[in-house]
Amino acid sequence: METARYNRQIILPEVGINGQQKLQQAKVLIIGAGGLGAAVLPYLAAAGIGEIGIIDDDRIEVTNLQRQVIYKSSSVGKSKVLEAKEMALGLNPSIKIKAITEKLDSKNAISLFEQYDIMVDATDNLNTKYLINDACCVTNKPFVYGSIYKFEGQVSIFNYENGPTYRCLFPEEANDVRNCNDAGVMGISVGIIGMFQANEVLKMVLGIGELLSGKLLVYNMLNNEQQKFDFSKTDTNTINTVAFENKYTSVESTTIEIGAALALEQINNPEVVFLDVRNSDEYPKITIKNGLQIPLDRLEAALHQLDANASLFVFCQSGIRSEKAVEILINNNFKNAKSIIGGAKALDKILHKGTVSVS
Amino acid sequence: MIAVKYFGAIAEKTRSQGEEISFSDLPLHQLLASLEQKYQLSQLSFSVAINQKIVQDTANYILKSNDIVALLPPFAGG
Repeated sequence: METARYNRQIILPEVGINGQQKLQQAKVLIIGAGGLGAAVLPYLAAAGIGEIGIIDDDRIEVTNLQRQVIYKSSSVGKSKVLEAKEMALGLNPSIKIKAITEKLDSKNAISLFEQYDIMVDATDNLNTKYLINDACCVTNKPFVYGSIYKFEGQVSIFNYENGPTYRCLFPEEANDVRNCNDAGVMGISVGIIGMFQANEVLKMVLGIGELLSGKLLVYNMLNNEQQKFDFSKTDTNTINTVAFENKYTSVESTTIEIGAALALEQINNPEVVFLDVRNSDEYPKITIKNGLQIPLDRLEAALHQLDANASLFVFCQSGIRSEKAVEILINNNFKNAKSIIGGAKALDKILHKGTVSVS
Repeated sequence: MIAVKYFGAIAEKTRSQGEEISFSDLPLHQLLASLEQKYQLSQLSFSVAINQKIVQDTANYILKSNDIVALLPPFAGG
């Protein structure tokens, strides 16, 4: 480790060489490379967070530059996260930065969150905040929330060590709240709130100070008033894998897909057939009592083997061939065919956790 | 006297940071209903804090004198 680089923070007794090692081992995912992300990223990178992921599928626009100060005017039109990565590595080449040029959605959230210790919510809409919250509940990870309305900002930490979640604070899913693009914002406002978020991340990693878990900080940039509100965990809001898949697969994608955990809920249902469309030499082997194997290229010729009234949960290795299989099935009047998201890999993972009981 | 504080889009609707209401022993839901009517807040979602603590059960809470009520909407910008 480059101790000279971090000398001014290592000499703080609250940090020290031990704390610096904790920072180096930490993995933080920043969701959104807009105003908040642009404030959080350089400070986490400079402080020596060992691995930082940043996800956003947006490109830089000229209207971003007034507040997203890590980008150059000459970069308009380029990918935000790729530019952000270059900036952060220029600041601190000794850390790892992973730029993810995707939009966070219910299909990538869980596998992504599993790779990090702390998520930073630097998004600009409520739907994604609920998604982050729910995926953090499923993966049992904390997230540092920050949000702006004009000259006011909110900061909190949710789902930290089983603590209160975003839904404990805002149980109603409102989607009528305006973001910075619509309502307007000063660059400094996102900067201040982003700094509060970065500060909470560092405190959490270092184990110092008091975290904003169970507390909502509201900061007013016009009069500098700062208030904290306490909130507690409400038990009714627990979200597990099944609830997550139930909620999001029905909203976001067509009904021809089903999550692996949700599919496995039906493992003992005699009306449900698990149809493996891989070739017989593919691993992992999935052994399900009500299972059947017909490779995709032989499916059309073998349709007579299937009961048109049964529910067919189709899987392949990762979920691509099974989508084609479902298309074939539906075209041939098998109305209850669904493709299992994530395929055999996702099923195998859950079956090996032993959370499904097979009768 | 009960103090009410407004935040975010609520403060924008009420055109103030807060106000004082000369009541005590007032059911919270009654206060909220009258504010919603007065300022047409019904389209806005918000959580309610009393004396800096979020209250889940707004239906059964009775406000006392000197209570401070805060109406906190979620923010979305970033």
